[in-house]
Amino acid sequence: MHELAIAENLVNIVKDVAAGEKLSKVTKVTVCFGKMVQVVPDLFETAFRAAVADTVAGDAELDIEVLPLKIRCNTCNTVTGPEDYCFVCSACGSSDIEIESGRELYVKSIEGE
Amino acid sequence: MEIKIMKNILDRNQNKAGEIRELMRENKVCMINLISSPGAGKTTLLERLCEKLAGRYRTGVIEGDVTTDRDARRLQRFNIPIVVINTGGGCHLDSHSISKALTHFDLKNLDILFVENVGNLICPTSFDLGESFRLAVVSTTEGDDKPAKYPMIFRQAKALVLNKTDLIPYTNFNIESFRNDLKKLNASLPLFKVSATKGDGINEFARWLEEQIINS
Repeated sequence: MHELAIAENLVNIVKDVAAGEKLSKVTKVTVCFGKMVQVVPDLFETAFRAAVADTVAGDAELDIEVLPLKIRCNTCNTVTGPEDYCFVCSACGSSDIEIESGRELYVKSIEGE
Repeated sequence: MEIKIMKNILDRNQNKAGEIRELMRENKVCMINLISSPGAGKTTLLERLCEKLAGRYRTGVIEGDVTTDRDARRLQRFNIPIVVINTGGGCHLDSHSISKALTHFDLKNLDILFVENVGNLICPTSFDLGESFRLAVVSTTEGDDKPAKYPMIFRQAKALVLNKTDLIPYTNFNIESFRNDLKKLNASLPLFKVSATKGDGINEFARWLEEQIINS
């Protein structure tokens, strides 16, 4: 249940940004999670609601974007998006790859007034 | 109005982890973060490693535990500094709890610091502790499908210890299937097959660990 710790950290960032921008109300929070981080969206929504209650973002809509896994092959430079967690280049079979996307855990934006 | 942020949600944890990594480098301490499911055998493995290494390297342990100090008590016989972090329900350690625990160690007189994370294969992978590297421990009784189900730790770990190999005849653990899944996930991950209770494979693993410590 890392969702709760992540939600608490998120709410702290949202509160700081809202204070810096002098927002009286945050209406939307957009976050991006890579598939590998294995954050469960429904659980995260529940954790976020608990963490955000009674703050400037208490009524904010939460938008969760789950980013797919993408790997870049260091041998042939092909970028592929394996459906399962297969970290082998499907073009040339090399295991020498870099993860381009799938490990993200960031807050993209907020909306407010 | 929309405000772009594009900030790592765990940046506060990441920043503290960066400070810890620098502190460890200054004091030449190799910090090893052990991650596994509950009951995979991290503490028993630590007992074997302390037997092999604690006499020759100044060793310390941080025991992450939801509650109780039972794991720490098992290591007391080695007369090494041990600090318990009770997370009180939390499913992982974070860099701030490690930072507080570090104040109880004399880092100048330490070579190795083992951190036994809370038993969990997902949550600890998101929280950098400032460690030198991560070790994954999986036991045969958990089944051979753990790499396929929990990919992150098998990408992050510097080595994988497969524990309880002596129990394979009593389980449906299929080593070929396990190896095939690992090959897809991380073909270069060193795999050490051990039985921490019987001692099988411990020498080879301790030798590898010693090389990492010397080279860190």
